[in-house]
Amino acid sequence: MRSGVLIKGKVVVFLVAALVAGISGVGLAQEPIRLGAIWGFAGPCHMLSESAVKGIKMAVEEINSAGGILGRKLELIIRDTEMKVDVGSREVKDLILREKVHFLIGPCSSGVALALQVVHSEYKILRISTMANTEAQTVDKFTPYVVQIVPNTYMEAVAATRYMHKRYPKAKRFATIAPDYEFGRREEAAFSEEIKRLVPDAKIVYEAWPKPGEKDFTSFITAIMAKKPDAVHSSLFGGDLVAFTKQAAPYGFFEKIPFMALYDLLVLTALGDDAPEGVMGFARGDFFMDPNPKMMQFTEKYRMTHGTYPDCWAVQAYDGVYLLKEAIEKAKTTSTEDVIKAMEGMSFDSLRGRFTIRALDHMGTVPVYQGVIAKDPKYPFKIWKDISRTPGEEVIRPEESVREIWKKTGVVR
Amino acid sequence: MSPDVFFNQFMSGLARGALLFLVASGLSLTFGVLRVLNFAHGSLYMLGAFLCYSLWAKILLPSLGFYIATLISAIIMGAVGLIIETSILRALYKRGWPEQLLATYALILIITDLVKWQWGGQFLSVSRPRPFTGAVFVFGLPFPAYNLFVIALGLAIAIFLWWLVYRTRLGDIIRAAAHDREMVAALGIPIPWLFTWIFVLGAFIAGLSGAVAAPFGAVALGMDIEIIVECFAVVVIGGMGSLPGTLLGSFIVGQVYSFGIMYKPELALAFIFMVMAVVLIIRPWGIFGRPER
Repeated sequence: MRSGVLIKGKVVVFLVAALVAGISGVGLAQEPIRLGAIWGFAGPCHMLSESAVKGIKMAVEEINSAGGILGRKLELIIRDTEMKVDVGSREVKDLILREKVHFLIGPCSSGVALALQVVHSEYKILRISTMANTEAQTVDKFTPYVVQIVPNTYMEAVAATRYMHKRYPKAKRFATIAPDYEFGRREEAAFSEEIKRLVPDAKIVYEAWPKPGEKDFTSFITAIMAKKPDAVHSSLFGGDLVAFTKQAAPYGFFEKIPFMALYDLLVLTALGDDAPEGVMGFARGDFFMDPNPKMMQFTEKYRMTHGTYPDCWAVQAYDGVYLLKEAIEKAKTTSTEDVIKAMEGMSFDSLRGRFTIRALDHMGTVPVYQGVIAKDPKYPFKIWKDISRTPGEEVIRPEESVREIWKKTGVVR
Repeated sequence: MSPDVFFNQFMSGLARGALLFLVASGLSLTFGVLRVLNFAHGSLYMLGAFLCYSLWAKILLPSLGFYIATLISAIIMGAVGLIIETSILRALYKRGWPEQLLATYALILIITDLVKWQWGGQFLSVSRPRPFTGAVFVFGLPFPAYNLFVIALGLAIAIFLWWLVYRTRLGDIIRAAAHDREMVAALGIPIPWLFTWIFVLGAFIAGLSGAVAAPFGAVALGMDIEIIVECFAVVVIGGMGSLPGTLLGSFIVGQVYSFGIMYKPELALAFIFMVMAVVLIIRPWGIFGRPER
């Protein structure tokens, strides 16, 4: 009796399954292309990663409703690194071996990115890096299995330094404050390299390295002010930058010392009225920094879907998915090696304008943005004025310089 | 170093020390009486900060809102403390340290996930309340008024705890219980009742300090672990379970960090733990602590 019911049950399940399959038959015709999205939903990375996933989901939905890629659906599998190197390595391995993803997109932290790179390169899976931007991904530790379409630490810092120098040409004594890990170290190294090129007698009088996630910057602020620098360059970001800004304001820090940091839309929104006008920011393409028609169209759609304005993390992740689509269509296959070949030297119309994936090191010539915080009655948060869009070609590390580093780090290409 | 630079750095260290004292005092108090090292104390602090944010955002009174939110957060955290003590800790007093550590560590994970679920992982920010929004000038140097408020609150809590522990009958019981809990029980004082209220008080102070920390920096996940690690340094230096020790430990850690940043910023955190290591070698029970019997 019992087994009879069970068998009947199984038959019903089978019939229902067949029926559902029949209705959505198109999707079953071909195996979907699986995209593994690996992000960090913890610490200063959490909000950035949430934005990135929003951008990716929008792109995936658009692509699938327009018929997919090469007639195949794009399937998204999301994993969390918790911003930890060991968790990231484990999750990416699981994505590759168990979920059998064809491509990867992510992560947030530069430190985690370098750990992932070792794993997925071994399995010959391509990853698009749209947020983690350490230059080591494409230069020091180059592998063909990474394509970077976020301005790397070198490009970002060089462009920011030039902007700062243009506004404060007489500044000679500088201080830096940056989170003490891969990203912060790289940015400030590039800053001091570039500022010494622009101002030969420039001096870095003080370097502060708070740990990522620091909440109390008071002692750093007073120490910086004690050194009386002409200007301060900072690669603080996210919650750390919010805390720093709020704590520095009562000291009159921003009136006394020219300051530049990663004031992107997320930070400006979190600060609200506390965002210090006149302070310089750099970022990677939040909607208001590049109001081209394609970006504004995306912004409208993003607002309809999520109720917020798209920040650079969503923009870059969205670009990443479409770049992959174009490369797969150009290669006419999902084979990693062919898609990589298709991407090398490929030009791509992104939300941030047209850029090219440099064949040598897989670095995109993506633009970098700088500006000065200002009010705009059109928006409920402060944005930038005097916006400068530095094309990637102007700040990307020259090919000879990349080859020079490769000689030292043992990359053969 | 010119005197104004010294003074500025000293004041920054004092503010940091005051916040550390607020959190560490609750940790030290519960340890002194309950003999339970509550790993999750930092999580109660974090929860207090998130609660303060939500209440502050709801109340929307420009000047009073923050203070009301702070008080309510502290009371809610006291209630949370009541639940934790009666449901989890009570069952563990007779067990060994490993079980207590595991249980309070589990609480850290549970509270972290609760916060993640309720507030997401975003960083939130509470505006500084009036009249502490701007700077005050001390000897002609600007100093954030809110930092002075935190220092004053740290002192107030220190005085209150001193009064409670050394000047009241409850204080006599607390000290006696810390010394010999069987004897106190033999005198007919209900130990479970005492433990519950001490833990509630500790949780209340944790919630209060979390709420006060909210406008100090950013409210975000991870602030629990960050503070608890430094609090451990404080109580190890000052002496576990000793109120004057906690005060001195907080002062030392705050100043070492602040002047460390001035001279060798990359080693500022390391300095704290070097001091801790030296204390552990010379006086393993801390400056004001008593050797375990």
